[in-house]
Amino acid sequence: MAKLLDKQRYKCALGAMQTVQAITRAIPVLHSGPGCAQKLSDSTGSSGYFSPNIFPCTSINEKDVVFGGTKKLETTIENALKVIDADLYVVLTGCIPEIVGDDTGEVVSRFADADKPVIYASTAGFKGNNYKGHEQVIDAIIEQYLEKSDEKEKGLVNIWADVPYQDLFWLGNIRELEKLLAEIGLKPNTIFGYNRGIDNINKIPKAEFNLLVSPWVSIGNMKKMERKLGIPYLHYPTLPIGAYETSKFLREVGKFAGVDEAKVEAVINEHENYYYYLIERYADLFLENRVINKQFTVVADAQYALGITKFLANDLGLVPAKQFVVDDTPKQFREAISEEFKKLNFNLEAEVVFETDGYKIHNQIKEHDYHGYPLILGSYYEKELTESLKGNYLNISWPVQDKVVLDDFYVGYTGGIRLIEDIYSVAVQRWN
Amino acid sequence: MSYKIAVASSDGIHIDKTFGAAKEFLIYEVTDEAYVKSEVRAAEEVRNAADEAAQPQKESGLQDGCGNTGGCGKDGCNSQTGGGCSGGGEVSGKVELVSDCRSIVCKKIGFHIQKQLERKAITSFDVDCTVEEALQKITAYFHKVDTHQSFRRASVENHNT
Repeated sequence: MAKLLDKQRYKCALGAMQTVQAITRAIPVLHSGPGCAQKLSDSTGSSGYFSPNIFPCTSINEKDVVFGGTKKLETTIENALKVIDADLYVVLTGCIPEIVGDDTGEVVSRFADADKPVIYASTAGFKGNNYKGHEQVIDAIIEQYLEKSDEKEKGLVNIWADVPYQDLFWLGNIRELEKLLAEIGLKPNTIFGYNRGIDNINKIPKAEFNLLVSPWVSIGNMKKMERKLGIPYLHYPTLPIGAYETSKFLREVGKFAGVDEAKVEAVINEHENYYYYLIERYADLFLENRVINKQFTVVADAQYALGITKFLANDLGLVPAKQFVVDDTPKQFREAISEEFKKLNFNLEAEVVFETDGYKIHNQIKEHDYHGYPLILGSYYEKELTESLKGNYLNISWPVQDKVVLDDFYVGYTGGIRLIEDIYSVAVQRWN
Repeated sequence: MSYKIAVASSDGIHIDKTFGAAKEFLIYEVTDEAYVKSEVRAAEEVRNAADEAAQPQKESGLQDGCGNTGGCGKDGCNSQTGGGCSGGGEVSGKVELVSDCRSIVCKKIGFHIQKQLERKAITSFDVDCTVEEALQKITAYFHKVDTHQSFRRASVENHNT
């Protein structure tokens, strides 16, 4: 029977048009019905040189279902190449053309000789959500654009982390990760955001290794690059937030890259000194039990649920209640992710539930005894619920209505401090 | 259940006439997925006021030969009679002529006429192919719609299982 998805927390695979948009001067060419892009383009921060309103689209209709839409697709790509000045054209397919069987790959292959690269990714909604779509786009770049390079650049590391736009902090996070890697002497390479783009994509094959900071998204991409481009990868499943995890992260990356240990320790030391200086100064606030909650729940994708849970338990000593992973994590990754939630300091373990149904999540939160006011970090859907429980609430996952983030971030030492600021700003407000 | 499809073709082989220029429509009777030609309907005598109104524009070169009267029809967008861009106003005689059909196939069709057909739940297809190909695809499509079958092609289905 058809199931109703209550409080949806992700989009269909075609939402990967935002992954394309995050690559500067790359444009999605949509082979989909009219309105798909309109519905998917609700995120803020998506105007600019290319915005979803001008994405070329075949706008297929009933006629194309009956007669096939490949002719329309060909002219749409042809004209997109003529009128849009972009560096990379990524054709994305919606549900309809894939159901009726349009051979998009064949049409795109006719543009192999075009002046600009044209690739395609299969992003039909029935194939999965936009996390999956994001992987499809990266896969398309690897499969159809990148070539193996014999030449390697010393210290060059490709960093892969959050899904752009789906993750509120994608831009700030990736820049901060770059900064941290640069500090230990590596040369970071990323493809998303300002001043990155096709040149960075071209650099991917020259990297010594790929660094993936994510519990599951893009693991397939890393394997694909290992096979095709011969680039090994380091999979670091936890988004490092705060001093404990970030130091661990830098040590692990340093070890994998063969960076001098003393150099890594020196960087860590400097950061930790400042970090704990700040923590010390506000220790009185943290120790003030009236202000903060004893137990917390994170309702987010695996990336944030895991990263924030570790941070709040390890750095702030808060006790995790149930954590909810809402990104429809593929089954094969769930066990490993659940294990990660058990690796907390102070002998703490967090119970994690993989659930996409908002109704069930809210019921479980209501049933739990938080020994006081709960602290809930989640999507906008959790706002009303938290208010009814008199808890403290912070909007950190999609959908976001409560926050405007331009290039703020939660990753690293500084990111941890930012998250503390956000949480305690909420907490102290209730006493004003 | 059987239904009719009107085709704008001068030779019965190619779909070579626009809706506006068609002098006759070939009517095919479809039962399940089998179709037979049942009649030829002359389209010239059915011109009514709506069609005549389009005439002067045609002569001045504004009409595009697709049954589109240029712009939004004879009253323009500010029509007080419910006309405008939604295909309102007086219905073309040709639309009346095929109003018992489920679908109309021609080389090109104007937006205004398309809307008029839509209001009568007639699906219009403007395609560039043979009559046979069009009829095969359209009847297969309607058959799937009527019998609640997936549009997914067999090859795609195999691929996913």
